Amino acid sequence: MTRTIPIIICLTVATVLTIVLCTLTGPAGFGIPSTVPGGADIVGGIRLPRVLAAFFVGASLAVAGAAMQALFKNPMADPYILGTSSGGALGACLAIVFFGGFFVPVFAWAGAIAAILIVWSIAGRKGVISVETLLLTGIAVSFFFSAIVSFLIAIAGQNVHQIIFWLMGGFWNASPSDAILMACILLPAGLLLFFMGRDLNALSLGEETAAHLGIDATRARWAVLGGSTLLVAGAVSIAGSIGFVGLVTPHIVRMLLGPDNRVVIPACILAGGILLVISDTIARTFFSDLPVGIITAFIGAPFFIWLIHKRGEVA
Amino acid sequence: MTGRHSINAENLHAGYGTQEIVKSISCSFAPGSFTGIIGPNGSGKTTLLKAFSRVIPSSGILELDGKAVSDYTPAELGMAIGFVPQDEGRPFSYTVMQVVLMARYARTSRFAALTPDDYTRCHRALAETGVSHLADRSIRTLSGGEWQRVLIARALAQDTKVLLLDEPTSHLDLSHQSDILSLMRRLAGSGATIIGVFHDLNLAALYCDRLIMIQHGQLVADGTPAQVLTPKKIREVYGAEVVTSCHPATGRTFLMPIKTANGNGSSLKPLNVQVISGGGSGADLLHFLAGKGLSLSAGILATTDTDYLTAQALDIHCIPVLPFSRIPADALEKLKVLLSRADRIILSAHPIGSGNLPVLLALRDADPARIIIHMPEGRDFLSYDFAKGAATAAFENLCTAGAQCTTSYEGILGLLYQASLKPHDREI
Repeated sequence: MTRTIPIIICLTVATVLTIVLCTLTGPAGFGIPSTVPGGADIVGGIRLPRVLAAFFVGASLAVAGAAMQALFKNPMADPYILGTSSGGALGACLAIVFFGGFFVPVFAWAGAIAAILIVWSIAGRKGVISVETLLLTGIAVSFFFSAIVSFLIAIAGQNVHQIIFWLMGGFWNASPSDAILMACILLPAGLLLFFMGRDLNALSLGEETAAHLGIDATRARWAVLGGSTLLVAGAVSIAGSIGFVGLVTPHIVRMLLGPDNRVVIPACILAGGILLVISDTIARTFFSDLPVGIITAFIGAPFFIWLIHKRGEVA
Repeated sequence: MTGRHSINAENLHAGYGTQEIVKSISCSFAPGSFTGIIGPNGSGKTTLLKAFSRVIPSSGILELDGKAVSDYTPAELGMAIGFVPQDEGRPFSYTVMQVVLMARYARTSRFAALTPDDYTRCHRALAETGVSHLADRSIRTLSGGEWQRVLIARALAQDTKVLLLDEPTSHLDLSHQSDILSLMRRLAGSGATIIGVFHDLNLAALYCDRLIMIQHGQLVADGTPAQVLTPKKIREVYGAEVVTSCHPATGRTFLMPIKTANGNGSSLKPLNVQVISGGGSGADLLHFLAGKGLSLSAGILATTDTDYLTAQALDIHCIPVLPFSRIPADALEKLKVLLSRADRIILSAHPIGSGNLPVLLALRDADPARIIIHMPEGRDFLSYDFAKGAATAAFENLCTAGAQCTTSYEGILGLLYQASLKPHDREI
């Protein structure tokens, strides 16, 4: 792929530009707002952590999405497919309903991890498990958790608004520590998945094929699931369940660069980050801090349809 | 250190979950051999092959080059065994070259890039299966046959001593089938161990040195194609009626299906074949036809005739008459009854004198469409005529009435099962 390097360079430049320009953009105007008291604090203390948090969350979701799509041999898989988002939602709901909104990130993180552990243990009970079993178990557990979330919403009273907003996802409360936390997860997990690029390639043709090609398919599967779970649980605990970024970004990247995961994973880090930073900037600048999940779906869905229409095929 | 066998399995059991598909199979494979695994659908062929490659767990002894397969690391196994699946899902648009390069993963560190040597090897593999021109194509745009050849190229690029093939030619056309299987023969010739699952028994017989037949997960036959592919074995294992023969051009065993026993739940009656011969002309023919699932009868034979002795030896019914005497009228009557019952009549050309001319004339009453005349290459009716032209005339009359002539035994077999010739509609 001769165009891989130029495209990666362009993405890197775009990343830097996006972070800088979006940090300078906000409801208080473009640039460092001098008319507003504490303008520099707005840029450095509010916008920058938020932009960085959005970047790392977007990157995490996109990488996890690419990994799940390869693992499940299915371009329609998304990072939440094994129940991470519904688990996280359940945790967040419990925190909102029973703890008055304290510890939401902790509960969300625990819920996401718990969901995956439940799926693993149910699907893994018979020793050898197929990815298909894992997938179906994940979908079943997701629905079960969603039912509990719906039940909690029904009895939540005045907290409904808070739950709904959390479910749609956003960065209202993003703090510097959130950005640092997400970066600390993304660095090792992203590196892990990057170096598992060829395992992902082989797995995307089937676990038996991977084994025949000399890959330790079982170990690779658990490593991929483990890395992705950490990424998604982190993202969910910081920003709720933001849709579409994890599904669409890998497609866009594969259309540009082809399906080789050794290229797709690093490119997803950059592209996923860019997409979510821009979406969040639009949300907070023009829509008085609408949940960013609405923006990603609102812009992402038509864009995706246009891409598929143009290509005539899913990459 | 290294055993004589590249793969050795003893008392091997394998299956999915609690379901055991392969039940206690013991067999071993020597380097330089091309073995075909055959058996009916669901008999466990693919499971056995995947047990060999360790993607399906097995119990019992399984050794690769004298070392237990369980002692191999996944990467070592990827360098030791190449596997060609029946088919493989193609959810993503990898290029053909990207897929074939995956063959080299086992040989390179995950932190290193592939070397030019890896690329050279993969290009050679593409050339070997005739898909070089597809190297940059997306795998999703390939036909089934092209994809199958890419999968074979990928297994070749793994550079393994053992190659396992699961129906490697199921999607290939005639010329690519022979290209791929000839390639496998050459690889076996250079010391590789090739094991393939085959549905097409003739293809397996043509290219494999050895066939292993399995049924219900157990080994039921193991040997050369000629030893394994007998009509009896095929009937037992596949429930199909076939005739076997030696291929005239290749000299290898080949099968021709007749009717399946489980077609209507009942076995069909074998074809009733009446052979008319004499003077030793039918001895070889009777040997050839015996054991092919036919109901044979040998006609009027003098007790000193070689054909008579052959018929006796093969336990074939005939009408014995005294030598050098006129054929008695009751013998001719018996023959006419036999002729009227026969589904096919094979007239093996033999010397006709005034003594046995009545036999030839008796054929006039038989349905000429059921008559097959065997005339050896380079001979004509005249050369058998010792009845002053009467025999030639009788032969020619049969031909003009619609009897078919052939010069070879294979030709006879072909005519026996020709679709246009329906078996006799026997009344009750």
